[in-house]
Amino acid sequence: MTEAVKTVAVVGAGTMGSGIATVVARGGHRTILFDVDEAAVQRGLEFVAGFLAKSVKLGKMTAEDAAGITARTSGTSDLADLAGSDIVIEAVFEDLEVKKDLFARLDDIVSERTLLHTNTSTLSVTAIASGSRHPERVVGTHYCNPAPLMALVELVDGLHTAGWAHEATAEFLGSVGKTACVVKDRPGFILNRFLIPWENSCIDALENGLGTRESIDAAVTGALGHPMGPFRLLDIVGLDVHRQVATRLYEQLKEPRFAPPPMVERMIAAGDLGRKTGRGFYTYDDTKLFGA
Amino acid sequence: MALFEKVAVLGFGTMGSGIAQVVAQSGRTVVVLESEQSRLEAGLAAVEAFLATGVARGKVTEEQKAAVRGRISGTTDLADLADADLVIEAVTERKDIKASVLAQVADVVRPEAVITTNTSAIPVSELATHVTGGSRFAGLHFFNPAPLMRVIEIVRGLSTDADVIARLEAFVGDLGKDPVVVKDRPGFLVNRLFMPYINDVVQAFDDELASAEDIDTAIKLGLGYKMGPLELLDLIGLDVHEHATRGAYEATLDPVFAPPPLLQTMVAAGMRGAKNGRGFRTEQNA
Repeated sequence: MTEAVKTVAVVGAGTMGSGIATVVARGGHRTILFDVDEAAVQRGLEFVAGFLAKSVKLGKMTAEDAAGITARTSGTSDLADLAGSDIVIEAVFEDLEVKKDLFARLDDIVSERTLLHTNTSTLSVTAIASGSRHPERVVGTHYCNPAPLMALVELVDGLHTAGWAHEATAEFLGSVGKTACVVKDRPGFILNRFLIPWENSCIDALENGLGTRESIDAAVTGALGHPMGPFRLLDIVGLDVHRQVATRLYEQLKEPRFAPPPMVERMIAAGDLGRKTGRGFYTYDDTKLFGA
Repeated sequence: MALFEKVAVLGFGTMGSGIAQVVAQSGRTVVVLESEQSRLEAGLAAVEAFLATGVARGKVTEEQKAAVRGRISGTTDLADLADADLVIEAVTERKDIKASVLAQVADVVRPEAVITTNTSAIPVSELATHVTGGSRFAGLHFFNPAPLMRVIEIVRGLSTDADVIARLEAFVGDLGKDPVVVKDRPGFLVNRLFMPYINDVVQAFDDELASAEDIDTAIKLGLGYKMGPLELLDLIGLDVHEHATRGAYEATLDPVFAPPPLLQTMVAAGMRGAKNGRGFRTEQNA
């Protein structure tokens, strides 16, 4: 683990996995993107290539650098190809058993000093680490979406995480240009811990007639300096995603302010999931998330 | 004729000077009432200093600065407020003081003049009972620093005329700000949402979720807020927030407003945040 250039595998080629693979490859490491679905691997590699091409176009990177990064990036749907990895970052479906099972299988493939990073946002790092026979090398690294653009990573030790694993993880995050914030293994870490009750309180205020969606958004952006009001943000996040995260936190914390307010349930029942369905708190002419 | 051509501001402290400046920038004449000449001079100096910063940054010309300054006058004589079309009260945040000043001013200005308070914590409907013709009374809550903050809350008291609210909305728009009409409930809208969030962060910090610096950094980088919650609390003043959230707690008995024990202890220990260099981010916390 003293080599500057490491071999890093990213497991799961969805939005987060592809974004994290981009971060790792751009940081100069040999990058392997794994997914059980070969088509997903290809889409993920295309995402990385597309991001690099855009960076070149915007003058943030030379074509030579981009070519070098592409040459160091590969894909696979065979978990055995991860054998030589220094770090494996999992970004698979947010399900405890799936993540535990993955780490158990990796125990038989990678070295016992290989770092296992989990990108979980709402599950316990300690619980996920229990899937491995070597929980001391499991560390939580929660990236923000879109990973290539967001500097923050929440760095979370599980109950059994070793000091060396924490240090090596902090060093790795620095090598890929991320700012690590150290947080205890508690539901929601820092961001969701504060964002979810905040958004719920805004939804409650709306439902209780303290303001309209427009006036609350205007008040929050204008008086508190947030880049976006809570209802614009919820529409982008998706009401279904908000409900899922809020419900997970509520199940663990048993504090009502984490529970999704009744209005969220009604909107989901009506099919108003936000930007992606054309209607959430606001209505939209198109369902594109960004641009246009 | 412009809406509320002549505006009286009561009190020339931080909020009063910011409000006077904002109103004068819209082309209106402003008269500020203070109890002492020295306070008037301090208020005018604060406006001068704020505008001078604007000139230095190239946002305001010398001519504009002189014009704005020229539209603001100070007085210690209540009678000078007689022809005001709108009164904005911004004196010390104490119920007895506000009630007394408002009662005196209400008897001096014309019966049709609209009277407002910049309170952030006292029920507007209660202050209205001290004003003759309480239906012309409403809240007009500016945020600090008033010249920079885009939003002004217009608080509808239980007996405020709908027409008064409509005219205040137009007035706020004229000032180049966003009017947000809110109910007369503890914290109105912004602080109703903001205080529980800040209390939650303080408690989580006390519970050793993460360091103060990492909490602030995570919130700024992850959510894009201009300031982290703990550096913002330092800036607001620990004592100011503690007083406000305690008031909201007493009014609602809702635990989300209860000042966290660490906050109470820090305030009791004389830690007031950035203004005395002792807060969450200004020194190592025990």
